[in-house]
Amino acid sequence: MNVDLGASAIRTQGLGKRFGSNWALEDCTIDVPRGRVTALVGPNGAGKTTLLRLLVGLAAPSAGDAWVLGRPPVQTEDYLDSIGYLAQDVPLYRRLTADDHLRLGAHLNRNWDDTGARDRLKRLGIPMDRAVAKLSGGQRAQVGLGLALAKQPQILMLDEPVAALDPLARREFLASLTEAVAGGDLSVVLSSHLLHDLERVCDHVILLASARTQLCEEIDDVLASHRMLVGPKRPLTGLESSITVIKSTSTSNQLRLVVRVDGPVLDPSWEISELGLEDIILAYMGQDDLQSSGLHMVEEVAS
Amino acid sequence: MNHLIWKLHRSQAYFAMGALAAFIVILLVTGVVMADDYHRFLATCALTQSCSAGQGQLYSGDGAIFDIVNLTIVVPLLFGLFWGAPLIAKELEDGTHDLAWTQGVTRRRWLTSNVLWCLTAAVVWGAVISVLVMWWRGPENALGSPFDAFDQQGIAPIAYAVFAVALGIAVGSFFKRVLPAIATTLGVFVAIRAAVGVYLRPHYVAPLVKTASLSGPGSNPPAGSWLISQGLVGPHGQFLGGGLVLNDLPAACRSVPGVDKGSLIPCLTSHGFSNALTFQPANRFWEFQGLESGLFLVLAAGLIVLSYRRVLGRDA
Repeated sequence: MNVDLGASAIRTQGLGKRFGSNWALEDCTIDVPRGRVTALVGPNGAGKTTLLRLLVGLAAPSAGDAWVLGRPPVQTEDYLDSIGYLAQDVPLYRRLTADDHLRLGAHLNRNWDDTGARDRLKRLGIPMDRAVAKLSGGQRAQVGLGLALAKQPQILMLDEPVAALDPLARREFLASLTEAVAGGDLSVVLSSHLLHDLERVCDHVILLASARTQLCEEIDDVLASHRMLVGPKRPLTGLESSITVIKSTSTSNQLRLVVRVDGPVLDPSWEISELGLEDIILAYMGQDDLQSSGLHMVEEVAS
Repeated sequence: MNHLIWKLHRSQAYFAMGALAAFIVILLVTGVVMADDYHRFLATCALTQSCSAGQGQLYSGDGAIFDIVNLTIVVPLLFGLFWGAPLIAKELEDGTHDLAWTQGVTRRRWLTSNVLWCLTAAVVWGAVISVLVMWWRGPENALGSPFDAFDQQGIAPIAYAVFAVALGIAVGSFFKRVLPAIATTLGVFVAIRAAVGVYLRPHYVAPLVKTASLSGPGSNPPAGSWLISQGLVGPHGQFLGGGLVLNDLPAACRSVPGVDKGSLIPCLTSHGFSNALTFQPANRFWEFQGLESGLFLVLAAGLIVLSYRRVLGRDA
């Protein structure tokens, strides 16, 4: 391996995880540079949680390799010090208070930023001496984030941290995250199926669908390379070579395509428009539906 | 790690300390009275040579406390159910293992600290209760047999406690839920303890056999021994077993009505029948305690190894 693994926050090569005969994640190859806030998106069951658990060392891969900050993710103190992880549903010790959790963290970690963590939670108005079971979902998520950040990790991995939160709590959580990331060289991976929120926070995206990687790119590049084409109906086989169809829908005389373009679109009969990240991601997921239903990706879907 | 363990288990610890303190007070108070009764009894029974008849009469009225002391047989099981089984299963059930196992301590160290504390608590509590019971039963052990409370005194209860906790931890590492872990621990513990007690313990060392008359002085096993079985021996020395089979009896005795032992036994005695007593003598008590403890400690060690393999190899 003559690649400088250390330059990547995350690098995987053919990474896969099998439970019984079922591949939860298959042939996942990604490379995320350091210092990015990465959105890990995909439909439920696409392997987002599995990928994160492999990356934090809670699970062992069935195939392939992974490097986080240039090291394989294994349970050594050194590695554990460098990561912050917030698991799905924000597991905390229900009967302990936020204060208890911070003390625990201080005992269990070497680079613990106690003042920073306490300041952050105080500013958010989190009751420090109440059992976390009695806090709201948003407050618990903030405590979880506070714990993960207080470790002063080099990479922070968050599994669906906002999924269960109401819109206001979600915004506050993402604001806390943005603030924590600002100015530092912390790398963040944030999984979610709520695309809208991620677009504001993230600058890189990994799209998993049907247990495989579909995209791993800077969001700006993704936006720049995807277009919506609308034009008269025609066979998909005759398209320009620079166009890869992600999703097509047709009405009786019109064809709408979500495409990836590697150069200018020359055919003037297309009406070309830009796409938001959400539309692009959804197009990939729709493509996934086509594949899993046994259809080829360029076949038409009547709308 | 120790801070985490104390934070998570302090309420259990307080409860266990309270229960132990109450138990200590009850036993100390009643034990002192019993010892006093016992010494007074010895002083008088020596004169009438009726000391061996004292068991069971001496402390009539103290039944409830006897029951409490005998019930300490379940104490090791309680450690297994409420300390051992939830140790890992509770973390898995609540998902908090994700939190614990991504802090700056390795999973191995996390497990080692937890296991050591849990085992230490089991040893300390088990030892205190066992020592106390043994002291409390002193008079009873002297008049009867220490084997009568083999499971509650000596060093065996400590080994049971260690085994129960190890079993709970191991079982808990296989379940993601506390309740099934507790239920399984209960079932397996009772099954193994019962099987060892019934099938293995009597045979740790070949028992002694004594042939005795069917009634009267000398028909009892030696003082303090553990009677395992007894059976009829015919006039020619043939062993007839524990149950009476009519055809084995001399014709003259068969007519003796039913179960009227009062007249059957003299009849059998007069025809040369005797009683074979199979027993373990009192002086083997500590040897047996050591063997049984060793057995359970070996089992416990195996279970701890299993727990490590489970937790360290686990895809959390």
